[in-house]
Amino acid sequence: MSLALWVPIVGLFTLALLFALFSVTAARFTGPHRYNRAKLDAYECGIEPTPQPIGGGRFPVKFYLTAMLFIVFDIEIIFLYPWAVSFNALGLFGFVEMLLFIGTVFVAYAYVWRRGGLDWD
Amino acid sequence: MTWVLVAVLAVPAVGAVFRSRAVAAGAAAIAFLLSVALATGRSDGGLTGPIRPWHQLDVSWVPGLNLRFHLGVDGISYPLVVLTTLLTLLCCVYLLWTDGDGTLAALLLVIEVGIVGVFLALDLVLFFVFFEIVLLPMYAVIAGWGGAGRRPAARKFVLYTLFGSVLLLVGVFVVVSRAGTADLVVLSAQHMLPADTQLAAFILLSIAFAVKSPLWPLHTWLPDAHTEAPTVGSVILAGVLLKMGTYGLLRVAVGVLPDGARRVAPVLGVLAVTAILVGGLVCLAQTELKRLIAYSSVGHMGFVLLGIATLTATGFEAALIGNVAHGIITGLLFFLAGAIKDRTHTGDLSELGGLRETAPYLSGILGYAAIASLGLPGLAGFWGEAFAVIAALRRGGPLWTVLAVLAALGGALAAAYFLRLLYRVTHGAARPAVVGIGEPVPGELVAWAPLVVLALAVGLVPALVLGVAQTAVQVMAP
Amino acid sequence: MILTQEALKLPQINYVALSPMLILFGAATVGVLVEAFAGRGRRYPVQLGLSLVSLVAALVMVVRVAHTRELTAGGAVAVDGPALFLEGTLAVLGIVALLLVAERSLEPGGPFVAVAAVTAGTEADRVQAQRRDAGTEVYPLLLFALGGMMLFVSANDLLTMFVALEVFSLPLYLMCGLARRRRLLSQEAALKYFLLGAFASAFFLFGIAMIYGYAGQINFAAIHEAIQSSTNDRILLYLGLALLAIGLLFKAAAVPFHVWTPDVYQGAPTPVTAFMAACTKVAAFGALLRVIYVAFERTAWDLRLVIGGIAVLTMVVGSVLAVTQTDIKRLLAYSSIANAGYLLVGVLAVGGNGNHDGLASSMFYLVAYGFSVVAAFGVVTLVRDADGEATHLSRWAGLGRRSPLYAGLFTFLLLAFAGIPLTSGFTSKFAVFGAALASGQAWLVVLGAITSVILAFPYLRVVVLVWLSEPGENTPTVSIPGALTSAALAIGALATLLLGIAPQPLLDLSSRAAEFVR
Repeated sequence: MSLALWVPIVGLFTLALLFALFSVTAARFTGPHRYNRAKLDAYECGIEPTPQPIGGGRFPVKFYLTAMLFIVFDIEIIFLYPWAVSFNALGLFGFVEMLLFIGTVFVAYAYVWRRGGLDWD
Repeated sequence: MTWVLVAVLAVPAVGAVFRSRAVAAGAAAIAFLLSVALATGRSDGGLTGPIRPWHQLDVSWVPGLNLRFHLGVDGISYPLVVLTTLLTLLCCVYLLWTDGDGTLAALLLVIEVGIVGVFLALDLVLFFVFFEIVLLPMYAVIAGWGGAGRRPAARKFVLYTLFGSVLLLVGVFVVVSRAGTADLVVLSAQHMLPADTQLAAFILLSIAFAVKSPLWPLHTWLPDAHTEAPTVGSVILAGVLLKMGTYGLLRVAVGVLPDGARRVAPVLGVLAVTAILVGGLVCLAQTELKRLIAYSSVGHMGFVLLGIATLTATGFEAALIGNVAHGIITGLLFFLAGAIKDRTHTGDLSELGGLRETAPYLSGILGYAAIASLGLPGLAGFWGEAFAVIAALRRGGPLWTVLAVLAALGGALAAAYFLRLLYRVTHGAARPAVVGIGEPVPGELVAWAPLVVLALAVGLVPALVLGVAQTAVQVMAP
Repeated sequence: MILTQEALKLPQINYVALSPMLILFGAATVGVLVEAFAGRGRRYPVQLGLSLVSLVAALVMVVRVAHTRELTAGGAVAVDGPALFLEGTLAVLGIVALLLVAERSLEPGGPFVAVAAVTAGTEADRVQAQRRDAGTEVYPLLLFALGGMMLFVSANDLLTMFVALEVFSLPLYLMCGLARRRRLLSQEAALKYFLLGAFASAFFLFGIAMIYGYAGQINFAAIHEAIQSSTNDRILLYLGLALLAIGLLFKAAAVPFHVWTPDVYQGAPTPVTAFMAACTKVAAFGALLRVIYVAFERTAWDLRLVIGGIAVLTMVVGSVLAVTQTDIKRLLAYSSIANAGYLLVGVLAVGGNGNHDGLASSMFYLVAYGFSVVAAFGVVTLVRDADGEATHLSRWAGLGRRSPLYAGLFTFLLLAFAGIPLTSGFTSKFAVFGAALASGQAWLVVLGAITSVILAFPYLRVVVLVWLSEPGENTPTVSIPGALTSAALAIGALATLLLGIAPQPLLDLSSRAAEFVR
């Protein structure tokens, strides 16, 4: 395997790194500095940050639950890509297998839904 | 007759289930009659090997493990089988006159199954199975019905016996896996193992049996177990349980591994004579009745082992009759010791003085048993010891001559300590502990009488034992 | 790069041969749907019925395909003698364990809660611990675990094996945390098992990578070929093998990968402990045997010393530490560790000049031990006081007076563990040691015999305690078991007895099955 294949990728990564460094440093020197409370707080998707309990505290387990559910369905999507790409080659067998796969994930989804996993409180 | 072989095992096993003293006594009686009946219709069945069972039963059980349900009785095992069933019967009868539920009697029956099974087994693996069955009920008897220090004594018993079992198991493994069969008849007839394997296996097996017998220096569990065990436990322990060791040595270790036996025999002989001397000397210093009898067992079993170690027909005969005599006499002695301890609540010799004054019959029987045990000619104890010494002398050579002389000296020690025992216990003025104690009750007399009679009968007519055993011993001697 | 669009060669799949695990996975999925849609009151009977029916169906299918000897699913799964024998074993032991799991008469609502992760001691946890109609999640979890175990023992390449490992491990982690009583202990057990299990899985996966690096293949037959023909550095192979072995020996609870066992056995709900002790052992040793003798037979000689050392360590540590235990569940855990050692002796007896006694006797041992241990933990569930099970040994003093029947049963099972003749413990140890001796492992046999004597002591101590001590003020009562536990106890004890008295049929079966396909 020739290393030459990797040169564009390495180049791209270098470019990205340089750009990020440049933007952050440039903003520091060129932009206005007018801080307020919201700007100084931790960034949480623009939502008012949840007050942290004293001593660091714990996150409610619900966050992790949501994150895990997200990953499960995310993986499902990722798995669909290669199947879609070689759909013709896999034929009916692949189709049925994929239905089974989606079906199983759906069962899990139904369980989560019915047992209140999607309710926040 | 093969059904009798099974019945002798099955009747006590079934009897044990009921956990009732009356049923136990009945089952033990039937088992005794059945075992006596084993002698009828005996023939060697045209067999030519060293083991020629009169009757045998050979059924495949677990071929995958080389395990066959192979039972048989011949002249060597027959006297021991009858001894076992007799002593169990006497113990069960004795228990009829005591308090308590039937559990103890049931355990005795289970022990009987194991011991009789050991004597009847003609398959090495089956032999091991029966050998193991005895362990737990005996443990329970000591730990459940024993005296004050019963727990440590029971634990010591188990520790030693399990240690022996491991060696036995490994020895059995070695023999079976090298020879490819576990059939004792075949194994004894064709010695197919190479000499080195024989030596290794013989050492394993003889240590295992020496623990059970017990041979000095592996005997230390015995005095504790005897001192703490209930009367019937002591009787069974001394009377027949120890015989599993000597029988195993004779039938399995010597029978299957003669080359190994030849090489180890001098060591065994030396240890046996050491046991005789040590047992005798320790007895001279004992102050506790049951411990004294227990140590005397060590000495007597030393004679038995000496007989086996000579590897001659005379020696085997000595071992056999010594086994039976020791079973009868020591059984009786432990019955008596139990009776005395029950009445006086002490086993201390110094507190038992003057028994003759308060309980003349009891002390009379004790004197009779003690004299029988020290080997007075005309009583059972004489033949085993005399033959063992003679066998060692006939073996010739300086070693065996010295051993014979020392063993004879040890026999004299037995006279010394038993006379000391009688002097301390029966003579003199009555001590407080023996005042007002009762004479034997009917239950005790019923249990003792057969032993008293047998001690005399075997002493006068040793052919009672040797007659049935002669052929078996002759063909067995290498 | 151009993607080829011609039809791929699809693997042949023998669905009938795979049906036992397919049935279990299917039923487990249905079980999840039942949890989602059935009313609370109806879940228990439906789940129990579904689990029982599917396990019986799986067993029936195992019997029906009993003569199959082939690789299927593109060589990823082997359906051969050992696989089918162990699948059948798993199904039967699974049924017995299920009976314990489903018992509800001992404790209102059964011994499980619904959600493992609720913080112990909180209001929410108290509420769920008092619910009578929840806690049926354990059934689908059990079925998933069993299905994963079946796949584990028949996996024929490393990745399938890894997937199966995860499929049966994850439900087990969860089930450990479901105890209704002593929630904190249960959660601790689950977390401990999970963390250490995750480590072990990572080792396993890392080992796969190494082996792939060496052989360029993950299929067992291909690895077997590669070991002879590959010119790669052997360091990769040994490193990979060692890491793989760590993953497997962890599940098998072999020393020094055993530290989780006592804590998890103690903390997990007792029916789950029973299930783990019986079935996880079967799965772990089934896979270990297959990996060693299908993929790595040509390095077996190098392995022998290492695994022999581990076997010795396992037997010695397990039996010696068992002596010092004061909790009956921990005692049984250490005895289970020691038994893993005896099984390793059996594993070492396999191989070389067509001797399959080792494999056959190991499989026999797994069956015999499984039945006894399920029944033993079944008795543990019965000895209770107001706080649930009373597992401290001092509480068992004098139990024989209170309940001779169950004390007698437990005694019998302990005698089986101690290897006393006429119990399955004797025949199975005899078979394993005999096979090991025949393949020249004399020193292992000697050590095995010695440690089994050491191990007899804690058992004897319990027997003495139960029978010869006076019952004290706080000797717990023995609950009258419901029909399900009774059935489980009866099956376990009967199997222990039968395999002790008439083991030949099963010995025949196991020796007929003792041949891997490669």
